[in-house]
Amino acid sequence: MTRSPLILEPLFMIGPVPITRPVVTTWAIMAVLTLFGLLLRAHLANRPGKLQSAAELVTEAIDHQISEVLQRDPAPYRALVGTVFLFILVANWSSLMPGTEPPTATLETDAALALIVLASTIWFGIRVQGVAGYFATFAQPSWAMIPLNLLEQITRAFSMIVRLFGNIMSGVFVVGIVLSLAGLLVPIPLMALDLLTGAVQAYIFAILSCVFIGAAVNGENDPPQDEHRKWDTT
Amino acid sequence: MRIDWWTLGLQAINLLVLMWILSRFLFRPIAQIIAQRQAAADSILNEAKSAQEKAEAAEQQAHKMADDAAAARQGLIDAATGEAEKEKQALLSAARAEADTLRNTARKEAERIRQSEAALAEDRASRLAVDITARLFERLPPEARIDGFIDGLADGLVKLPQTTRDELGAAGSRVTLKASRALSKAEEQSIHTALTKALGRDLAFTVAIDPSLIAGLEIETEHAAVRNSFRNDLNRVVHTLTERGDSKDA
Repeated sequence: MTRSPLILEPLFMIGPVPITRPVVTTWAIMAVLTLFGLLLRAHLANRPGKLQSAAELVTEAIDHQISEVLQRDPAPYRALVGTVFLFILVANWSSLMPGTEPPTATLETDAALALIVLASTIWFGIRVQGVAGYFATFAQPSWAMIPLNLLEQITRAFSMIVRLFGNIMSGVFVVGIVLSLAGLLVPIPLMALDLLTGAVQAYIFAILSCVFIGAAVNGENDPPQDEHRKWDTT
Repeated sequence: MRIDWWTLGLQAINLLVLMWILSRFLFRPIAQIIAQRQAAADSILNEAKSAQEKAEAAEQQAHKMADDAAAARQGLIDAATGEAEKEKQALLSAARAEADTLRNTARKEAERIRQSEAALAEDRASRLAVDITARLFERLPPEARIDGFIDGLADGLVKLPQTTRDELGAAGSRVTLKASRALSKAEEQSIHTALTKALGRDLAFTVAIDPSLIAGLEIETEHAAVRNSFRNDLNRVVHTLTERGDSKDA
């Protein structure tokens, strides 16, 4: 029987720190992505190969989405949004590896992602609008909205956690149940569906991150007109 | 439900580290290579635009040079045409002048030849008339070649101016009387009588025979001549006919 996804058992201990399966899987994903990045950087050329073309396509798609949502230069936000998208995508698809459980099927990983996005939202908001300017946005349209806006910051982070966790965990859970009941090849359609779900969830998480950061840096997601013009010309 | 805070913290750290790694080794190099390619493409486009502008300028220059060459060629053609026209007019003028000269020369030559032929014809006509007349007179008696002309000779003397008549035979001088044959004593006496009567005084003469007279008599002095002979009449007729022919030709 499949164990509960809400309970993490440490694989080993490093001193007092318990190392669980999602952490190890995440390290593996980090290693793969790092190796991919190093290899790609070593072979970058003005005439790109297929792998470089694919990486450039993904990078330009991320930049395009950031520009569309934030109406700003995507460079400062590319690392955060790109890393969130690539990590969630690879993590979700890691379930195709036999015996591998995606880290995003655990609350801790999703919560870490959401906390990083929340912290980045506050960081970019303060950096663009200043401390007073950023916190003044919580009083929009009136002071009475401050509690609701603060609550919104928490609830939307929580919604991101639950959405990602629920979709991925349910997929893993269903595949595990079907695998235990039906046999070796029966879960394949469900695994294919998980691929689609994993890609969609990675896209949704990245886009929501852009939207939240955009609301923080532009003030209620209302970008300045000069920024509109700047990106319309590119 | 239980949250493993160690795992949450480690995952947050992992994600931050991953973010740094991907930013440094993936996204930034890719963005740089894209920017470099974009810059290279812009540079190539700018160079292409510059080359296009240079090519257009060169094309315009070539067009201008072609227009200038065409204008120069047209100028040369016009100058050559004008020069040729002048040369043609000069040649035509020279040719006309030469033709006029040749025509005048030919006309003069033709006139000379015509006059020469006319003179020759006159001479032939005179000779023919003389021959005809001589043959006709050969059928007449010899006296007819003298007797019929004595009165005419006397009339010729009468018609001379008085001063000329006075000079004839003056101071005992003798005049020459030409006859187509030798005269008999009777004929000389008849002539002497008629001349004396015409002048009103005696006139001594010497007879000279000139068969070219055909028939008739002629008196010649240094200052006057009285002709009453067929030769003289034929010459007058031929001269008159020739003058008529000339007037008709003109």
